[in-house]
Amino acid sequence: MKSPGLTFILPAMVYLSVLVIYPTIYLYYMTFHTFNPLYDLAPRYAGLQNFFVIAQDADAGYSILAMLFLTSITVPAQLALGSLIAILFTSPRLRGRLVLRSIMLIPLSIPAVIVGLNWKMIFFTYGPLNTFLTAVGLEPQPWLSAPFGNSFNTFFVLAVLDIWQWTPFVALAVAAGIESIPQQIQEAAALDGASRLQMIRHIVLPLSKTIIIIILLFRLIDSLKIFDIIYMLTFGGPGNLTTTLPFYIYKVGFTLTAAKADIGYASLLSVVLLLIATVLVLMVLTRVLNVRRVVWE
Amino acid sequence: MRAQVFTILVTIFGWGFALLYLLPFFWMVGTSFKPIGEWGLPTPLPANPTSRNYIEVLVTGGIYGVRGHFPPILRYLVNSVIISSSVAALTSILGAVTAYGVLRYRAGGAFFANWVLSLRMIPPVVILSPLVVLTKTIGLYNTLGGLIFVYPIITLPIVTWFMIGAFKSVPRETEEAALLDGCTPFQVFIRIALPQASIGLATSAIFAFLFSWSEFLIPLLLAPSETAMPLTAFAGYFSNQYGILWGPLSASAVIISLPVIMIAIAIQRYLVRGLTLGFIK
Repeated sequence: MKSPGLTFILPAMVYLSVLVIYPTIYLYYMTFHTFNPLYDLAPRYAGLQNFFVIAQDADAGYSILAMLFLTSITVPAQLALGSLIAILFTSPRLRGRLVLRSIMLIPLSIPAVIVGLNWKMIFFTYGPLNTFLTAVGLEPQPWLSAPFGNSFNTFFVLAVLDIWQWTPFVALAVAAGIESIPQQIQEAAALDGASRLQMIRHIVLPLSKTIIIIILLFRLIDSLKIFDIIYMLTFGGPGNLTTTLPFYIYKVGFTLTAAKADIGYASLLSVVLLLIATVLVLMVLTRVLNVRRVVWE
Repeated sequence: MRAQVFTILVTIFGWGFALLYLLPFFWMVGTSFKPIGEWGLPTPLPANPTSRNYIEVLVTGGIYGVRGHFPPILRYLVNSVIISSSVAALTSILGAVTAYGVLRYRAGGAFFANWVLSLRMIPPVVILSPLVVLTKTIGLYNTLGGLIFVYPIITLPIVTWFMIGAFKSVPRETEEAALLDGCTPFQVFIRIALPQASIGLATSAIFAFLFSWSEFLIPLLLAPSETAMPLTAFAGYFSNQYGILWGPLSASAVIISLPVIMIAIAIQRYLVRGLTLGFIK
């Protein structure tokens, strides 16, 4: 009998091919074309023009750096803060920790757009944060629109949003790791007179290494997708300060009036982002998640 | 004695921290009950609470009687519900079938499994411009059907990998016995494997629902008009147009968030597993 397995995966294979393979081919095709629907009726062949444009486009280089910079703030902060919260929330001394854990799911579950809306209100020029700063005698800050002055502010705002939303996820995952440590090991350590912090340092952390790496990789990959909160809070501004690569692709490919707006050029930028993501994906697949082992053994 | 004091301190600290952490969210809930004069006031709680924001946002439209700007969001809410539940149904079934083939028959080998997993990691903005062209070509641009067609790019990899984990805990022996008794592989899947993984199936459907509910970028680009626009896209678009109408905006934000918060709390046991595609149990 022929293996029936193929029949099982065929529908998804066909479906995903239409959704992914066709667009990918189209993407590569478009990197050699230029097309702005405002001026052109159809894509025009342009040879290597897009490649020359990207080589001279300082904004493109900047957007890659901005994306990596944002990631380099958010991911370590989420891991550190999340681990601390996990240690706190698994403490047997904390009363009502199950209720606390449930309400900490709120940031995680609300759509990123709504997180953006929520914090836009907080960081608003006449909003609560600035009122609070004034009340304690500090200078109110133009958090979302500081073109000159302290331009780090705006990055800081975006980082805070992403950290706020995803730290509970890290905390939850680390807490799951802490709680999966066999009871016997913990009891044995307690008999030997180990304090809770010692136990976490010498038993929990080494044992949850894999978990932490998995969390790290998921956070890294998702941080390359950050879009909604930029759209909501800064729209890539002030100037192009917070225009990360995904947002730059959006501006070039979908805002037809933007500088350099061109679907062909946006396709080339997309290929660049795809390459960066692929490097990360390969790291995940080869180093951490051995699919053969995870699935079939 | 010392231990008790420590317990009290940890508890106070833990709760204080959590309440402070969630302050922005509580602020939004408070603002949604504020009457028009208080929207901009820097206080978390309304002095004169009102439900007018909710009624106008949901049913009548307009802002404090001024019509024309803020349409009632009921229509977008209905779009969201239709899209998310269809995507949940579609992807949980398709994902379960695929996962079963991958797990039991090693169909497609490691390459196929890896490929599906890698789709979870593609930033959607990358392939959206071809998808705009594709949906326009087949006449699904700006329709509910178009969004339901495209969303599985996000949800199908998640559901497939989640279901691989779910089927792994189903014992093979009964399935093998049924095969020997002359059932076809598909009958075994429907009658034996699937019922035993029903909790997994339900959970993965819920995950597909949550992810579709929160999706913003795809509808922003594929469904720019009200016929198909879901609630999240509307909220984002609207907030950029009329930035500081905090009262109605907060009310719509609460309406969008409430269902997903309740669902997330209900399935919290599976939340980490789902978000990491089953790699953390």
